[in-house]
Amino acid sequence: MSQPEILNQAFELAYTYTRSTGPVIGRFLTELKKRNIVGIKASDGRVIVPPMEYDPDTAQELSEFVEVGQEGEIVSFAWVKEPREAHPSDKPFAWALIRLDGADVPMVHCVAAGSEEQVSTGARVKAVWAEETIGFITDIRCFELV
Amino acid sequence: MANLAAVVGIGQTKYTTKRGDVSIAGLVREAAVNALADAELTWNDIDAVILGKAPDMFEGVVMPEIYLTDALGCNGKPMLRVHTAGSVGGSTAIVAASHVQSGTFRRVLTVAFEKQSESNAMWALSSPQPFSTHLNAGAGGYFAPIIREYMRRSGAPYDVGIKVAVKDRLHGARNPLAHLQKPDITMKEVEESFMLWDPIRFLESCPSSDGACAMVIANEELAGQSPKKPAWIRGAAMRSEPTMYAGREEVSPQAGRDCAADVYQQAGITDPRRDLDVAEIYVPFSWYEPMWLENLGFAPEGEGWKLTMEGATSLDENGDIPWNPSGGVLSSNPIGASGMIRFAEAARQVRGDAEQHQVEGAKLAMGHAYGGGAQFFAMWVVGAEKS
Repeated sequence: MSQPEILNQAFELAYTYTRSTGPVIGRFLTELKKRNIVGIKASDGRVIVPPMEYDPDTAQELSEFVEVGQEGEIVSFAWVKEPREAHPSDKPFAWALIRLDGADVPMVHCVAAGSEEQVSTGARVKAVWAEETIGFITDIRCFELV
Repeated sequence: MANLAAVVGIGQTKYTTKRGDVSIAGLVREAAVNALADAELTWNDIDAVILGKAPDMFEGVVMPEIYLTDALGCNGKPMLRVHTAGSVGGSTAIVAASHVQSGTFRRVLTVAFEKQSESNAMWALSSPQPFSTHLNAGAGGYFAPIIREYMRRSGAPYDVGIKVAVKDRLHGARNPLAHLQKPDITMKEVEESFMLWDPIRFLESCPSSDGACAMVIANEELAGQSPKKPAWIRGAAMRSEPTMYAGREEVSPQAGRDCAADVYQQAGITDPRRDLDVAEIYVPFSWYEPMWLENLGFAPEGEGWKLTMEGATSLDENGDIPWNPSGGVLSSNPIGASGMIRFAEAARQVRGDAEQHQVEGAKLAMGHAYGGGAQFFAMWVVGAEKS
């Protein structure tokens, strides 16, 4: 018995959005453009990077920005052996949780390294800035081992 | 109905085209903080948060309720999302109330919002679909033929919609939170405005707004301790029906009539025009006032437009049953919040807290919302007294 012809039509769901980032995330992105990294002080004194608008424990509005270091320590990582198109690097790299100096919580970013063996928990890394900064997380192109 | 519940705090934002100064979290936060301040309460006094908004396509944030817990003081507490298209603000308030009426929670915060400037809600739900003709009609294009049919059946004069457009904007000019502020609007100005979807003109349509509305709903015991006057929830009902089915009555949907009958029965209302003092009814396109006057039993079938033309629904003409003294959806439309604004404005009226748009001595008020292809309905009746 012959297979029935299956009807197909492309369907691309596409729509444009704008995003108002507000005074906290907006400030974080603006500082990235200026090649600074800022966090925010929570009610318990922790410095959170990227900053949050509202305290996770007390729900109070947060406003005390703190500039943190551009170097930090790898808390945890996952090695990407075969990067795909959407990845930030075409060479193997690590996704890592990085605790920047002066921050109390780690932030996710990518770490450029020659091989998996070079990357370890506790390794020191520093931010590498993009040639042109636009106020987006990719203004930090990656972190590299110190 | 089970236990008594009441609105003890109301908070809104100023409705406007674009709130570029705040994130979505900042917008909902503002309404919630205002509601807590009105109730003289703090985040710790709230047991759960019930959130509503229209489809996620409008802002492009999928399940925003998850990321809004920080902003709404809800970490470690239950957070629920309600979703019934344009009626969602109303159904969210009812879901929130039912959690108090059932005894599940003692006091809840309910919030509804839309930040329409993050996208374009008119077309977000009109994307071309495979194997379908793309009508590119938008909401007005959907409702225009239904309005035409109402005009044909009722024989209403052509300017009923124009009158509603003027009346609600004059109401809105009394409300500093209303988006459109048009104290000098005239029938001529509306009539000469651009025809968008015949018979709906530009000025007969709602604006596109950013905004949020919040309420604190408490049980009888806690409402009794409330520093400000509570608005007692005397009845609440929801109904829905499919968008399309053979024989569907689109001009006066069955779900709307059933929902009204249910809420009136709970509140002991036999003649809504006589028994209610004021109503905040979801009218995004002007002609929906006469249509809903009939659907909700304020006027016999075919005669809703007469109430409008007589000024019965106008504050400025000292009407006996003012509709939308806040200015209604025609003056402010942050879609997901619009239904809750109706519910909250009804509560403001019976609390005697509606300032320049207060209906003198209002004791019993109705809030109404509809959504989808006029297929989801949510209504409540609130009173100054418990019964």
